[in-house]
Amino acid sequence: MATLTQLPTRVLKITPTRCTGCLRCELACSYVQTGEYQPAKSVIRVSPFEGHTSYAPYTCTQCAEGWCMTACPVGAITINAAGAKDVLDDKCVGCKLCTIACPYGTMFYDTSTRKAFKCNLCGGDPACADACPTAAITYEDVVTEDWLADFAAERGQRLLTINGGSR
Amino acid sequence: MPARHLIVGGGTAGINAIRTIREEESAKSEITLVSAERPYSRMVLPYYLDRTISESHVFTATAAVLAQWEVKTHLGRRATNLDIKSNTCTLDDGTKVEYDDCMIATGSSAARAPVPGADGKGVHSFWTLEEARGVIAQVQPGTHVVMVGAGFISFTILNSILSLGAKLTIVDIAPRILPRMVDDTAAGLVQGWLEKHGVTVRTNTAVTAIEDAKGRKRLRFKSGGDLVADVVIMATGIRTNLEWLKDSGIAIKRGVVVDDQLRSNVANVYAAGDVAEGKDLITGEAAVHAIEPTAQEHGRVVGANMAGKAVRYRGSLLANIVEVCHLDVASFGAWEDGRAQAVNALRKDRPAYRKLLFHGDRLTGAIILGPSADIWTTNDVGMLKGLVQSGISLGPWKAHLEKHPFDIKPAYIAARTTGTLLPETVLGRPSKAPGDSPVAV
Repeated sequence: MATLTQLPTRVLKITPTRCTGCLRCELACSYVQTGEYQPAKSVIRVSPFEGHTSYAPYTCTQCAEGWCMTACPVGAITINAAGAKDVLDDKCVGCKLCTIACPYGTMFYDTSTRKAFKCNLCGGDPACADACPTAAITYEDVVTEDWLADFAAERGQRLLTINGGSR
Repeated sequence: MPARHLIVGGGTAGINAIRTIREEESAKSEITLVSAERPYSRMVLPYYLDRTISESHVFTATAAVLAQWEVKTHLGRRATNLDIKSNTCTLDDGTKVEYDDCMIATGSSAARAPVPGADGKGVHSFWTLEEARGVIAQVQPGTHVVMVGAGFISFTILNSILSLGAKLTIVDIAPRILPRMVDDTAAGLVQGWLEKHGVTVRTNTAVTAIEDAKGRKRLRFKSGGDLVADVVIMATGIRTNLEWLKDSGIAIKRGVVVDDQLRSNVANVYAAGDVAEGKDLITGEAAVHAIEPTAQEHGRVVGANMAGKAVRYRGSLLANIVEVCHLDVASFGAWEDGRAQAVNALRKDRPAYRKLLFHGDRLTGAIILGPSADIWTTNDVGMLKGLVQSGISLGPWKAHLEKHPFDIKPAYIAARTTGTLLPETVLGRPSKAPGDSPVAV
């Protein structure tokens, strides 16, 4: 195998101010990843901020450590051709160690297949970016950043002030 | 740089150390592995027990892989003595292995409560592959299995036993289950959930004897009410395998005391995993964390240091998860800290539970319980781990979490946890995929 040890050259860039909360990315993601139009099986998750008036998608950063990958006791998480950490279904036993290793909350577990699953950048053609009508999700040759923090800190003010944030 | 590395123990720490040496070294060194068993992962034995994987799936480094890594092996052998003056390790067959540096990673063994009959036929432990084979041969649909001990080990195999169609009873001398993993509230929820799924749980129940009963086993209890079962599994804890170092001069408290580069009091002897007493990330105190993630991180840090790097380990984060009949139960960090400010929230009907422990505006421990099928359970499992691991200052978002312990995501994101974690790596560089090491695992 080639030495796919580098971080991905292209990443999912999130521009939260462009997100309208249409959830097309979740539908596209779940369809490509699992064959079902089922947002509950999407590995990109759109969250509301500031009540339900602003939204932002959140997904795996393909981090340098790869906490999920180094934690896996059977080597079932590898780096694919797109540079994304990817679960090998035939090796994953469903022990969930990756879910407590990932500090970003972006490892998921499918109760029907009893396997872990995560964003694998669709192997280099991410469906969420294709599906996004407003270019809130783009697949670009940039360095991964904390795309949502400024947006969340600003839009979250209302959560903090009104009713202490009741939803 | 040392040229002859000796790894004692072929578990998670040992195999990670070997792989990391080969990843990091500038010139090829000599590596010798001494291991009582062929290298395999204990984490996956429950899936071998329930027949979702074959036995071949459990092995982490096969003979072919070890050969490709150019590792000299002494498999099926135990180390019996370490001579720190002559840098020589003696094995149980009399073989002597000389080393320039050495890693002690001999792990733990199952400990059986001192009950008459606990070592008899038909009474099992479930820790090693050999012990797993013994249990697998005995559990069939309709088999009545009794597990003595309601701790983590029992809970890792509980789903497997139920999925095989066996009837299950769990007994424990303690008043509650999972004492070292969750608080009383979570333990009560899990116990109720188990009972709903047909498992009998008997706490405050001391086993006084295990006797033969016409091919079955009879358990006698202090409180009366004998139980006759087909299979008894003793899951009454583990003890570290350190007896062989008793007179070695290696400093041992609860484990081998290691510094932040995971060296013992002897500079060329490292320790990793269950046998190492190193820094706890949250408390800063010395602790033994007999958990898989610590063994993995310890092993990689030692491997890098044996290869000539100077990697400092920032400390081990206590983290555990078990799935109980599609209910996820996890805890992180100092979840039992009486000095912390604790807030919790319970949705009894789901059931779902969160307990958050703070020092100032930082999260230092957490307990989470929720349905596995609920995508927010796994999301919050990871985000709570991230908040505890990063030690991020939550600022105004602490008050939000105090009022809404279930609404973790906006606090996590707005407190800039992602940006804080992104540069963090264990070895100071991006990790390599298992298949990208000199050879595949």
